[in-house]
Amino acid sequence: MTAFMGTTSGQADRVSQVADRGRGLYSISAVGRMVGLPVATIRTWEDRYELVVPERSASGHRLYSRAQVEQLRFTMDRMAEGLTAADAHRLLAEQIERGLPVSGQPRMGRVLILLAEPDPYAAEYQEYFLKTEGFDVEMAVTGETARKSLRENSPSLAVIELLISGGTGLSLCRHFKDQGVPVVAVSVLEGRDQAIEAGADAFLLKPLDPLRLVSAVRDLLGSSAFLHGAPEASR
Amino acid sequence: MSQRLLSGHEPLDTVLGGGLPANAISLITGRPGSGKTILAQQYAFQNATPERPVIYFSTVSEPLGKIIRFGQGLDFFDRTAIGKSVFYEDLGSTVDEYGLAGVNEQITTAIKERRPGLIVIDSFKALHEFADDYAEFRRFLHELAGRLGAFPTASLWVGEYENAEIGSMAEFAVADAIVELSTARAGSRGFRALEVRKLRGSGFRSGLHAYRLTAAGMRLFPRLADPQADEDYPLSNVRASSGIPALDEMLDDGYWPGASTLVAGPAGSGKTLMGLHFIFNGVRQGEPGVIATLQENTTQLERIVQGFGWSVGERNVEVMYRSPVDIHIDEWAYDLLRTVQRTGARRILIDSLVDLRLAASDETRFREFTYSLVQRFTRQGVSALITLEIPGLFGAERLSGDGVSPLSDNIVLLSYLKDQSSIKRTMSVIKTSASRHDPAIRPFVIGPRGIVLE
Repeated sequence: MTAFMGTTSGQADRVSQVADRGRGLYSISAVGRMVGLPVATIRTWEDRYELVVPERSASGHRLYSRAQVEQLRFTMDRMAEGLTAADAHRLLAEQIERGLPVSGQPRMGRVLILLAEPDPYAAEYQEYFLKTEGFDVEMAVTGETARKSLRENSPSLAVIELLISGGTGLSLCRHFKDQGVPVVAVSVLEGRDQAIEAGADAFLLKPLDPLRLVSAVRDLLGSSAFLHGAPEASR
Repeated sequence: MSQRLLSGHEPLDTVLGGGLPANAISLITGRPGSGKTILAQQYAFQNATPERPVIYFSTVSEPLGKIIRFGQGLDFFDRTAIGKSVFYEDLGSTVDEYGLAGVNEQITTAIKERRPGLIVIDSFKALHEFADDYAEFRRFLHELAGRLGAFPTASLWVGEYENAEIGSMAEFAVADAIVELSTARAGSRGFRALEVRKLRGSGFRSGLHAYRLTAAGMRLFPRLADPQADEDYPLSNVRASSGIPALDEMLDDGYWPGASTLVAGPAGSGKTLMGLHFIFNGVRQGEPGVIATLQENTTQLERIVQGFGWSVGERNVEVMYRSPVDIHIDEWAYDLLRTVQRTGARRILIDSLVDLRLAASDETRFREFTYSLVQRFTRQGVSALITLEIPGLFGAERLSGDGVSPLSDNIVLLSYLKDQSSIKRTMSVIKTSASRHDPAIRPFVIGPRGIVLE
């Protein structure tokens, strides 16, 4: 995930992503789905190692930040290399103490979705709902950073807001289509025909219903993307 | 997904042009006791499903427990929905501890976890107190509106706003719909009234609409105010007898069907009896009739009609008695329209217009009301006879001011005539629409056969 973030150059992107990394965003059940761990295990690790401790909402719910999700992935990667849970956490503690970056490798089979969405609130929901369904998500708030991400990260699918960068979403759709990347175009304005003509594979009217978004993404990727993983998504 | 948020009460949805806008922010404003929370809960239980649940946030003006406790007394409150499709959450402690930023965070988390179709915030106005200054509140509002707008959910914000605040507070600019609950005056008494102040992207019925709060929630009576219709409608050529042979002659063989006839006269001049002639004549010809009275109840009316050989218990006769005390004219009108539809009535007697006038908020509203009512009957081919009490025993000075005489097709004036030794009743036809009439002043008597012209 950090690798994705490092690839974006737009200042707005950096600001929003840095701000989001420390905030509690995800419920424990969502994190469980995202990293592939039972909820009980996450709780046990929290109690035992007191390292990945989420903030609590006013009503007491655990809320994990994106950085904490990466920490859990880091731990799992080390365990996959043969360390015990205790040793993996010790290593994680050292990394944090030294101020070294902590990131987990997206596991084989995970699929990267690029969200080209300038509205921070819409982007937050879309990212959340896609991640809780097991996708990896990269975000771009301008057409330029979206193109750069396409070059550097090879996403499996792009969700493009047609009003991005002053309404240049249609040309972005064309660009992604030319590179063979499936596109879900989204907009608050009805623009189905123009989007499809510009190469989008699907169009969704905003505000986005999470179920429709996830269904559209799944339909376009096909179940094989989950079973086998797109090579470019594993990076 | 429906583009409208329905209340479960069709008249309210009709006033709102089909319902509140979905995926939008609506404000319900009103003073304490106006029924804001009842209406918000009505929307909540009407729209809650496990897939698109409703989250009801209380803030600091009313404790959550109290909202739920009083909610239980309402018919639509479904205890089994709580925790499944209706979630009550407290924002009060959050805003106390974390300020307005905490409010946005809790709402965002709730949206992610519950994916609601409707979010209620009660009271929204109370959140103002937690901003250090107005600029901070505007920033909070901007972020909240952004977060709500990015997810397909409707929001109801409830608050006790004063009239002046509607024009000045930022949430009214942000809101897509504003519904105000207030108290309006009709003479010396007040009545609950709903008014749509704003509804983006949709038409709605303007003006004040009376409502009552019942165990079933809000019961609204949309202001009867039909625009002038220009469409054609079929009318029979067979004239409707007044039930008084000599009067039929004066009217060139009775009234046109679908016509409205105003019978004006002083107290005791025979207005109600003339209406009863009209109804029972129709009944004898197989035409159902409705007697809509605000004067005599069914028992009193039966005593009167029996004296002339009729009975309100006869087939095809329907009495709709309503007390003029605490009456809403629109509620009354919808009752009457439903009764006419149910009975298939071809004739109606409205006795009397003065009672309705006293229940109307002002002259303009009354004119609009009577015009709309008369038009509805005309389009259905239902003939109406309406009584109007006027001052002046020995001849009316004027009929204007009652607001309805220009809207009537026919006007019959009853009066008294004083000679040296007695007082006689008289009848004259002063207006008929689309037919000629005899303008003579005819004395009449009331006997066992009713009105008989001399």
